[in-house]
Amino acid sequence: MLELLDIAVTGRVVAGVTRPRLQGVTLRLQPGDTVALLGASGAGKSTLLAVANGLLEPTRGAVVWQGEARARSGRRRRRQQARIGTLWQDLRLIEELSVQQNLNAARLAAWGWPRALLNLLLPLETEANVQALRQVDLDPGLLGEPVAALSGGQRQRVALARLLRQEPTLLLADEPLASLDPRLAQDLLALLLAQAEPPRALLLSLHRPDLIGGFSRVVGLRQGRVVVDAPPSAISPQDLKALYASEPQVGEPQ
Amino acid sequence: MTTLPAMDRPWLRPAVPLWVLLPALALLPVMALLPQLIHGGGWDLLGRFAAAAVTPSLDPLVVGSALQGLGITLGVALLGWALSLGLGLALGLASSRTVWWTWGAGPAPAGLIRRLLALPRSIHELLWGLFLLQLVGLQPAVAVVAIALPYGALVARVTADLLDALPTRSLDALRASGAPPGAALLTAIGPPLLPQVLSYGGYRLECALRSATLLGVFGLGGIGTDLRLTLQSLAFHELWTSLWLLLAAMLLLETLVGWLRRRWGMPGRLGLKRASVGRRGREILLTALALLPLLLWTAARLEVRPQDLLQWQGLPGLGQGDWSGVLALPWADLIGTTLVMTLLAAALAVGVAPLLLLLAAPWGWARAALQLIWALGRLWPPPLTALLLLFLLQPGLITGALALGFHNLGILGRLLLEAVESTDPGAEQALRAGGVGPRLALLYGRYSRLARSYLAYGAYRADVILRESVVVGLVGATGLGTQLLESLSGFAWDQIAALLAVYAVLTLLGEDLSDRLRQRLLVV
Repeated sequence: MLELLDIAVTGRVVAGVTRPRLQGVTLRLQPGDTVALLGASGAGKSTLLAVANGLLEPTRGAVVWQGEARARSGRRRRRQQARIGTLWQDLRLIEELSVQQNLNAARLAAWGWPRALLNLLLPLETEANVQALRQVDLDPGLLGEPVAALSGGQRQRVALARLLRQEPTLLLADEPLASLDPRLAQDLLALLLAQAEPPRALLLSLHRPDLIGGFSRVVGLRQGRVVVDAPPSAISPQDLKALYASEPQVGEPQ
Repeated sequence: MTTLPAMDRPWLRPAVPLWVLLPALALLPVMALLPQLIHGGGWDLLGRFAAAAVTPSLDPLVVGSALQGLGITLGVALLGWALSLGLGLALGLASSRTVWWTWGAGPAPAGLIRRLLALPRSIHELLWGLFLLQLVGLQPAVAVVAIALPYGALVARVTADLLDALPTRSLDALRASGAPPGAALLTAIGPPLLPQVLSYGGYRLECALRSATLLGVFGLGGIGTDLRLTLQSLAFHELWTSLWLLLAAMLLLETLVGWLRRRWGMPGRLGLKRASVGRRGREILLTALALLPLLLWTAARLEVRPQDLLQWQGLPGLGQGDWSGVLALPWADLIGTTLVMTLLAAALAVGVAPLLLLLAAPWGWARAALQLIWALGRLWPPPLTALLLLFLLQPGLITGALALGFHNLGILGRLLLEAVESTDPGAEQALRAGGVGPRLALLYGRYSRLARSYLAYGAYRADVILRESVVVGLVGATGLGTQLLESLSGFAWDQIAALLAVYAVLTLLGEDLSDRLRQRLLVV
């Protein structure tokens, strides 16, 4: 489905040293894969996700999407990107719009201008939106509410519902459980894993190694490199310790 | 089957990103009426004007004269601005309720001074200039004072508003601990007020350059005079020499003001980011001190002599008023066309800027081209745009509105771009990452966030446009401005007084209306 081949991303220059954010990362995702991305802060998890969804262009390497190289720009690139949905750590909902309009925003890549403008005037595709809200256990009565009026937990679910409305083949999630209490985190994780039936796949960055049980694979990043890629059962406490051990700053001479 | 809740909401309720585009609907009637206004000839003249942009005259005499004109305009702008800041800050303190409270008096004197200041504020600097010209004759100080009076009153209002909006907790605490009023005000109110006032002051300097150019167009000296003379004699190559120089000066000034605003941690004009407390106090003080010798030198170079302002000439034709003649003026028509022209110009400026930015969104070069066109719009005084439009169009309401609209489009466009660049890019990036095109991502992701503050600024701008509508009167556009210029040239003081009074009342009503609109927009 998605192949990241020998990806490198050069970072910012800090104190005369260029800090690479990713170096030589190769990752292949197949339909049905559920991959937990582990690593300490600054290991390159968010950068890897940004390369995967096309927000960031790698300095080296190739991104292959369903057998064809990712287009650099234009319609073909946008069509490819529309198949990859991201659940952002900071959610990135449009606060000023209603839940309905936010959910429909996930369809903008497929819609033309007339529908995109109409969405700002009338309630569109209510049936599909109600269904998406139900899937994430939210009251459909919230559709008309402005996002700014929702609670933290509700927003998290609206963001997930928006992801579902995009109907992506690959789901990416950047530390979606970071700010949730343990029960909510468990619920959300179960929801996400349930969505990743073939032909879909899930790549999720995680800061809690105790939650990797439900995934089919665990990929560990350290200093911008893949150091572990194995099923959760094959991950030893030593592996985890090595991933999170205090380390020299990325880019420093070793 | 549950009821579908979103269907219960009223239909056709435009969401915020659409609000910024709706005023652009004003283009429709303009487009419909425009063909009737085109009088045929003039295309070749306009073509020659546009072509001359790339071949400005490089004759040393022309360049020298343009530079000299630019120097005068810059000098007038700087002096008028500095004087207005001094006046405005003093009057702002005098019209602040907080200040009077601190001195143990009631708010009544503050209210009275505020009301008195409404008059100088409501009269456009051009009218002050023309009035002073009659009163003391042509001299460099006229343009300076013409800028300083209305600007001073405006700065006073803004200062007082900012000051009275500050929380008074620390002031109360200092007063309760026995600090004298002056020291308490300086300590408690000074630090939070300074960055806001300085930020606004920087913006006023940019405005002052535009006003000084405009005053020049009406014969008060400087590069504006060159612009008008070269345009009227169709000397387009010479015209563009002045125009490019003025553009360079304006962009330099805007860059400098923007750089200082960031360096000193001043809030931006739309206040989309959290208000800042300001930095580098010593540097600010040194800059202010360095300004003093610069101002004195400028005044000496321009031969501004304040004492000459006291030698009044008798105003010609001042006698018994012909009040029945005044009443016989077509007031309803004059006021109506002025208001329609103002609204049309405001709608065009407010709506077209976001529309153009959306259209240009996919291409970096298109955005750069827009920035250049907007810069020219800011720079080019509306009466000259109107003169240029007269090559193609008949004079009238739409011609006037287009000229005013183009100028204000330049101002709003720049502000919009600043706002777009300072809003959080998260929502737009998320849309782009999901394969949404650049235009829709901009509309949904950024316009949603900035719509309210942008429109609130647009409401303020409409108020400014009403004041400016007088300046397109020159080209016989229409409305009160045209009548005023007619009355001025006929020394009909009774009519002038009546027209000014009507203008003042309209402006104050407009100001009140736009204030209410702004408050409604900013309350979420």
